[in-house]
Amino acid sequence: MKKSYIITLLLSCGLLGSCGDDFLSIVPETQLSSATFFTKEADFQQAVNAAYVPLRTIFNDRSWLLSEMHSDNTYYARNPAFGATEQQEDLADFALPEANGVTSNTHVLNQYRQDYLIIARTNQILSTIDKIEFSADSKNNIRGQALFLRAFAYFELARYFGKVPLHLEPVTNRSEAALPLSSEEDVYAQIIKDASEAITLLPVKSKQQAGRATSGAARTLLANVYIVQKKWAEAEKLLKEIVASNEYSLIPDYANVFSTSTGNKNNQESVFEVQFLEGSAGLNGNFLYQFMPRNILANELVTITGTTNPQPLSGEGNNIPTPDIIAAYEPNDARKDVSVGYITLSSSARQNKVYPYIKKYAKPHALHDNHGMNWPVYRYSEVLLFLAEALNEQGKAGEAATFLNQVRKRAGLGDASGDLREAIYKERRVELAFENKRWFDLVRTGRAIATITAYGNRIKANPQAYYYPEGTAPRSHAFSNIKVFYPLPADEAALSPHF
Amino acid sequence: MKNKLLQKTRYWYILPLLLLLLSTGARAQNTSIKGKVTDEQGSGLPGVTVLVKGTTNGTATDATGAYSLNVPGGTGTLVVSFVGYQTKEVAINNQSSINITLAPDAKALEEVVVVGYGSQLKKEVTGAVQTVSAKEIKDIPVSQVTQKLQGRVAGVQINQATGKPGQGMSVRIRGQLSVSGGSDPLYVVDGFPITGGIGALNPDEIEDISILKDAASTALYGSRAANGVVLITTKRGKIGQTNVSVSAYGGIQQVPEKGRIDMLDAVEFATFKKEYYEAEGKPVPDVFQNPSQYEGKNNDWYDALLRTAPIQSYNLTVTSNKDRVNTALVLGVFDQQGVVLNNKYQRFSGRLNTDYTVSDKVKVGLNIAPSYIFDNTPRTDGDRGTGILFNALHTWPIMPIYDENGELTKFNTFPANTGNIYNYPNWVRAAEELVNENKITNLLSNAYLEYRPIKDLVLKSTINIELYNNKFFFFNPSTATSSINVAIPTTAVSIRENFSNTTWLNENLATYSKSFNEHNFELLGGFTNQRFRMDRTRIQADTYADDRLPTIQGGLNINRGGTTSGVEEWALTSLLSRLTYNYKGKYLFTASIRSDGSSRFGSENRWGTFPSASIGWVVSDEGFMQNFSKLNFAKLRASYGVTGNNNIGNYTQYALVNNTINAAFGNTVVPGAAVTSLANSNLGWETTKQFDVGMDLGLFDDRIQFMYDYYNKTTTNLLYSVQVPQEAGFGNFNDNIGEINFWGHEFAVTTRNTEGKLKWTTNANISFNRNKVVALAEGINRVYGTYHITKVGEPFGQFYGLVKEGLYMNQADLDNSPKVPGRSTVGSIKLRDVNGDGIITNGGDNDDRTIIGNPFPDFTYGITNNLSYGKFDFSIVGSGAHGNELLVRHLYSTANLDGVFNMVDGVKYRFRSPENPGKGKFGTTVGGGNVTGIERDWMSTHFLEDASYFTIKNITLGYSVGAVNKFFKSARIYGSVQQAYVFTKYTGGPNPETSGNTAGNGDGGNLSQGIDLSNYPVPRTFTLGVNVNF
Repeated sequence: MKKSYIITLLLSCGLLGSCGDDFLSIVPETQLSSATFFTKEADFQQAVNAAYVPLRTIFNDRSWLLSEMHSDNTYYARNPAFGATEQQEDLADFALPEANGVTSNTHVLNQYRQDYLIIARTNQILSTIDKIEFSADSKNNIRGQALFLRAFAYFELARYFGKVPLHLEPVTNRSEAALPLSSEEDVYAQIIKDASEAITLLPVKSKQQAGRATSGAARTLLANVYIVQKKWAEAEKLLKEIVASNEYSLIPDYANVFSTSTGNKNNQESVFEVQFLEGSAGLNGNFLYQFMPRNILANELVTITGTTNPQPLSGEGNNIPTPDIIAAYEPNDARKDVSVGYITLSSSARQNKVYPYIKKYAKPHALHDNHGMNWPVYRYSEVLLFLAEALNEQGKAGEAATFLNQVRKRAGLGDASGDLREAIYKERRVELAFENKRWFDLVRTGRAIATITAYGNRIKANPQAYYYPEGTAPRSHAFSNIKVFYPLPADEAALSPHF
Repeated sequence: MKNKLLQKTRYWYILPLLLLLLSTGARAQNTSIKGKVTDEQGSGLPGVTVLVKGTTNGTATDATGAYSLNVPGGTGTLVVSFVGYQTKEVAINNQSSINITLAPDAKALEEVVVVGYGSQLKKEVTGAVQTVSAKEIKDIPVSQVTQKLQGRVAGVQINQATGKPGQGMSVRIRGQLSVSGGSDPLYVVDGFPITGGIGALNPDEIEDISILKDAASTALYGSRAANGVVLITTKRGKIGQTNVSVSAYGGIQQVPEKGRIDMLDAVEFATFKKEYYEAEGKPVPDVFQNPSQYEGKNNDWYDALLRTAPIQSYNLTVTSNKDRVNTALVLGVFDQQGVVLNNKYQRFSGRLNTDYTVSDKVKVGLNIAPSYIFDNTPRTDGDRGTGILFNALHTWPIMPIYDENGELTKFNTFPANTGNIYNYPNWVRAAEELVNENKITNLLSNAYLEYRPIKDLVLKSTINIELYNNKFFFFNPSTATSSINVAIPTTAVSIRENFSNTTWLNENLATYSKSFNEHNFELLGGFTNQRFRMDRTRIQADTYADDRLPTIQGGLNINRGGTTSGVEEWALTSLLSRLTYNYKGKYLFTASIRSDGSSRFGSENRWGTFPSASIGWVVSDEGFMQNFSKLNFAKLRASYGVTGNNNIGNYTQYALVNNTINAAFGNTVVPGAAVTSLANSNLGWETTKQFDVGMDLGLFDDRIQFMYDYYNKTTTNLLYSVQVPQEAGFGNFNDNIGEINFWGHEFAVTTRNTEGKLKWTTNANISFNRNKVVALAEGINRVYGTYHITKVGEPFGQFYGLVKEGLYMNQADLDNSPKVPGRSTVGSIKLRDVNGDGIITNGGDNDDRTIIGNPFPDFTYGITNNLSYGKFDFSIVGSGAHGNELLVRHLYSTANLDGVFNMVDGVKYRFRSPENPGKGKFGTTVGGGNVTGIERDWMSTHFLEDASYFTIKNITLGYSVGAVNKFFKSARIYGSVQQAYVFTKYTGGPNPETSGNTAGNGDGGNLSQGIDLSNYPVPRTFTLGVNVNF
C-alpha cells in the first residue's frame, strides 16, 4: 500500500515535470535579460544607439534652461495667472535655492541624471565590447561613438558642476553606485583621453551614417575642451584639421542652416546635431512649444507651427529672447530676422501684447506639440569662430580675422572692426544665439558674474521691458545667487555618502 | 482491524441495494418512524438532522419540527443533531413514533474550525484563528465578501478606499505591510490559493471563512503566508437533507449629503474672484463684476455626476447530501448600478460542488464555479486632471453643465484675463460617453481523489485549476474626455486589452491520525506544485473618423507605444508537514514546516523554509479549576513561526534589457537597447518571524466569550527597490533590506446578553497595531515620498512636511518671524522654523520638514449587535478607526488661492487684511503663486485632518414566517440600510476610510497611505430582501 503511494507520488512528479529546478527556472519571455545580451555585433549597435537617446531629453528639455535662459540671451515671459513656475524662474533669475552646496532644482537634477545615463550606457559598451569578436571597422566605429558620447556627457557635467563622480566601469551592484567626487582636473583629463581616442576610431562625416558622431565632431568637442582650458595651440591644431578635411562648409544663406521638421538635417554645415523625428514613435521634440510666450491661442500658435490641430498653450513661456540679445545684432545682420520673430498674444496680461520668440527653430510641422527639427550642437561656423579665437589668443590676429570674417560675410556684414577679442565674443553671441553657448562663453571668459549682475540690475530697473506685466516685478531674491557652477542636485546628494 | 474493515466493506455493498429496494416500493418491509423534534420549550425545531446511526439513511425535520423516516427492520439507533443543541441518540426498538426533545448545547467551542490543510476542534486550536460564518454576514448588500467582513474580525483592518462597485477593498491583517511587495492576505478557496482575487466569488457561495493571523496558523502556506491567510469554504449539503433556498434583495443607493465637500457656489465663486482682483488692485473682469447675476445659476458639477442607483441580487441554492452524493448548487445574479453615472457592475455566477463516496476507502469530488462579470466604471478616481470626481469638484460653478438648448456643453473656457488657465471638458459627458469596460470570465475548479488505505491514513490528491480572462475595452470618443485642459473635439482613442490567466495546482497530501491512551496524534505530509501564467495583449488606436465605430481598424492611427504584449509567469514547488498532538484534549501542541522553491527567487536563493510551533493549555479542564465554576472555559495559547512574502514580482531578480530605446539618425529609426535594471541572484522572499500569545475564555456557561491575543513580529529582508544615486545609470537596485517590527493587541468579546424570547448577542472587537522601522538599507536611514517619510526609529510611512503655525497676522509678525525668502508676505502661511536657521526651507535633508502625522490608526474596532424577539430579528454592525490622519490632497487645487479652480467654502474666511484676518486656515490671495504657492504646494499640517470615524455599516430588521405549507419550510423578509451613517469630524471628503496612492519619488502604495483624492464616494444603500426555504 505504502509502495503504491510512493509510486503515485513519483508518477505525478514525473508526469507534471515539476520536481526539479527546471520547473522553477522561468526567465522573462517578453524582455531580454543581460545574460543573453551583449553577445553579438548587432547588440552593441543597438546599445550605442540607445546611448544617444538621453541627448533628446537633454536638448529638448534641459540644456536651454541651464545655459541659454541662465544667461542674458533669454528670459521667461511672466504669466502671473500661473503658478508652480519657480523651477524655471529660479534658473533665469539666478535665484537657485541652495543649501550645503546642493540644490533642489529639478532641472539641475535631471540634466545631471541624463548625462549619467549616457555615461552608464557607454560604460556598458566599452567594458564588454572587446570580449566579443566582430569586424574591426564596426567595433572601432561603435567604440568611437561610445567614447565621444561619454566625453560629451562628462564635458557637460564638468562645465555645469566642476567636481563630479567619475564612473568609467558599469555599476553591477549597490555598493558601486556612489563614487566620490573627482576633481575638475581629473574629469577633464578623462574627457581629453576619451575624445582623443574617439578621433582615431571614428570615420569622417562622409563615411559615417548621417547624425552619428564623426571624427570631425570628436575634434570639435576636444577643441572646445582645449578652448575652455585656454590650450589655444592644441585647439588650433584640431580645428585646422577640421577645416582641412573639406567635410564641412558654410551654407550661403543663414536661414537655411537649421533643419526643418523633416529635412535639411545633418547638412553640410552641421558637425553634430541631436536627432529628432516627428511622429508617434516618441522620437520627436517639442522644444518650440516650450519656447512660446503664453497664454497663446490656437489661432495665434498656428501661424508659427502650421499644424493641422493647433491647441492653445497656457502656463508661462520660457526662453524668450531678451532686449539685450536683440540689441546685440548689428544693423543689417541677416541673422537677426532669422533668429528672432514676433507674435501678438491677444490674451496677454501686458499692455504691449507683442512678444519676441526664437524663430530659428520655428519650422512648420504636421501635429501639435510634435516636431522633428534637429538641435544644432556644433556647426561649422562655430569651428571657424573657435579657430579665430584660438589664433587671436596666440597673437595671430591677422589669420584669426579671416576666419571671423567668413562668418560675418555670410551674415551680410563687413569685416570686423575694433578689438578683435571682443568682436569674436560678440560674433559668437549672435551667430550662435539660442544654441546654448552664451552661458558657457561667459563663464570660460571670466565675464559671467559681472555680465549677469548688470543684466539683473537692468531687469529689476525695468521689469516691463523683460516681459513682466504691468504691476508685477521680479521676485525679491532674483539675482541673489550668481555663481559660475551649479550646486549638485539635492536628490543625488541624499543618496550619495560623498556629497 | 481486518474484520472491521471487511464488515464496513460489506455494509457499503448492502446499502445501495437497500436503497434500491426502498425506491422500488418495498415499503412494507420497513418500519416507518414519525415524530417531532422540539426544544425544551416544546417548539418544533426545523432542519434537524435525524439519522440512523452508522448509515447515511437520514432526513431532516420540516418547518414544524416533524420528520418521517423508513428504517429497514425497525432496529438501530436514531442520531438527532442540530447546530447549537446537544446531539441525542434514541434506540428505535420497532417504535413507529418517536418524539425527541433536544437540549441546547452551549459549548459553541466544540465548533470545528477550518485551518490550513485540514480542520480542528475550535477548542483544540493553538493558533490565532478567527472564523466568520456565512450566516452572520448574509444580509449585507454588497458585491464583495471582504466588504461584508468590515468590523467583524479583530486584528483585521478592512478599508473601503473607493466606492466603486466591485473594487477598492484593502485588507490588512495585523497591520502587515511590505515596503513594496504586496500586502494583501492570501485567499484560499476550498484549499486552492487563488491568484485572481476574490472579487469574482459570489459571497452566497460561502459557507464559512477562517482568518489565520499568527505564524503557527499560516506557516503551512510558507512564502505566501506573511500577510495572513483567509480560508474560504464553500457550501456543502447537510447530511441527510435536501434544501432549496431562494434569496433575493433589491434596493437603492444614494450618496448622502453629509460628508460631501462644501464648495463655493456660483455667486460665492464670482464674489471671490471679484474680491481677488480688487485686492490685487487690478480691473475686475466683466464676468465677475456682478456676482449676483449667478443667483439661481449654480452648476454643481460633482452632484451632476451622481445619481440614485438600484442594486439587486438573486441567489438560488440547492444542497443535498443523500446516499453517497453530497451536492451543492449555487446560482447567483448580482446587479449593481453605480451612484456615478454610467457605472454598472454585474455578476453572473454558478457553483456546483459534488462529493461522491465511492466506497469506504475512496471518495472523489469536483467543484466547478464559473462566473462572468461585466463592469463599466467611468474614470472617477485619481489626482487632478485624471479623476472626473476630483475634476468636477474644482470646476468653476459658473461654467454651464447644460447649454441654452438643454444640451450638455462640450467644454468650457473663459478668457485668460479671468484667471482661467485650463479648458474644462464636460464631466457628465466624460462619465456617460467614455467606455471603460471589463468583461471577466472566471472558472475556479477543484477535483480530488481521496483514498483511505487503512483506517487512520488518508491520502488525498487534488488538481485545482483557475482560469481567468478579462477583456478590457476603453473608448474615448472625440466629444468627451476625463482629462482637464483637453479641448473638444479631442482625438478619439480606443484601447483593447486582453488578459488571460491560467493557474494550476496539484497537491498530494497524506494524513495519519492515531489515538491511544488519550494521546492524540495527527501527522500531515505532502508536496505541491503550482504554476501561473498570464498572457496579455493590448492594442491602442486613435484618431477616429466616426465615434460610432470604435474598432481598431476604424482608427486612422495605431498607437505604437500603446500596442504591446506581455507574459507573466511563476512556479512554486513545496514540501509541507505538520504534527498535531494533544493529551486529553487539554495539552495541545502543533508544529509545522514548509519549504517553498519559487521561480521568483534568485538562482542563489531558490528555496525558503518556514517552520512554526505552537502550544495550548486548556486550563479549565484541570481539576483545580473546578472551583471557578463561573469560568467554564479557559485556554492559553502561544506560538512562534516564520513566514514569507513572495510578492516581489516575477522577474525582479533579472537584469532586464529594454530594447525599445530607439534613436533616429536623419529620418531613419534605429533600434536601441540598454540595461535598465541590475540583476540580483540573491533576491528572495520577505521574512516575518512572529510570536503570539493568546487566551480564550468562556464565562457563565459561555454567556461571555472572550479572546485576547498579543503579537510581536519582525519583518526582515523587505523587498525594496533601493534608490541608488543615478550617477550609476540606474535609479534603483532591487534588494532584500531592512527590518520592521510590528506588535499589537487584539480583543474580541461575544456576549449573550439576554436569552429566552428576547435574544440579544453582542460581538465586539478592538485592535491596536503598532510598528517601527528598525533598519533600512545600509547607509540609508530614511526614504522620502512626496508627502511621506519612512525613517529608522519611526513608524513607517509617516506624513512629512512643514508645521503650520498660522498666518503672518501683521507686518510686525512677519518682521519678527522666520520666513520664506522672497515669498512670505503679511497674510501668507506661517511655518515653523524647525531647523532654527532663521528661514523656512522645503527640500533636502536639512530643511524645516518634520514628521507631522500618521496615516495609521491608533486602534480599530467593530461592534455587532443581534437581537431577536419572536419572529423579528434585528442587527446593527459598526466599525471604526481612531487617531489616524488623512492628507486632504484635493486642497492643493480646491484651495488654490489664485482662483484658478473652484474652491472649498472655507476660503470665504481667508486672510484679507490685519484687521480682517479670517479664520486662520487660508491666507492672503495677494501676491500670486509666489506667495500663495507656499500654502498650496508645500506639504504641511495645513493639509492634514484627523480622520477618526465610526461608521454604522449595516442595520437590518427581519421578520420570519414558519412553514406556510408543505413546500415552504420557512421564509424571512428583511430591510437593511448599508453604510447607514458615518460619525466623524473629518471634513476633507465623504469617505474617511479612503486612501489613494500617488506616484512620486520614493512612493510606494504602502509608503504613501492616507491620501484623500476625493475618490468615488461610498453610497448609502437601502434594501428589501427575502429568503425562502423550500
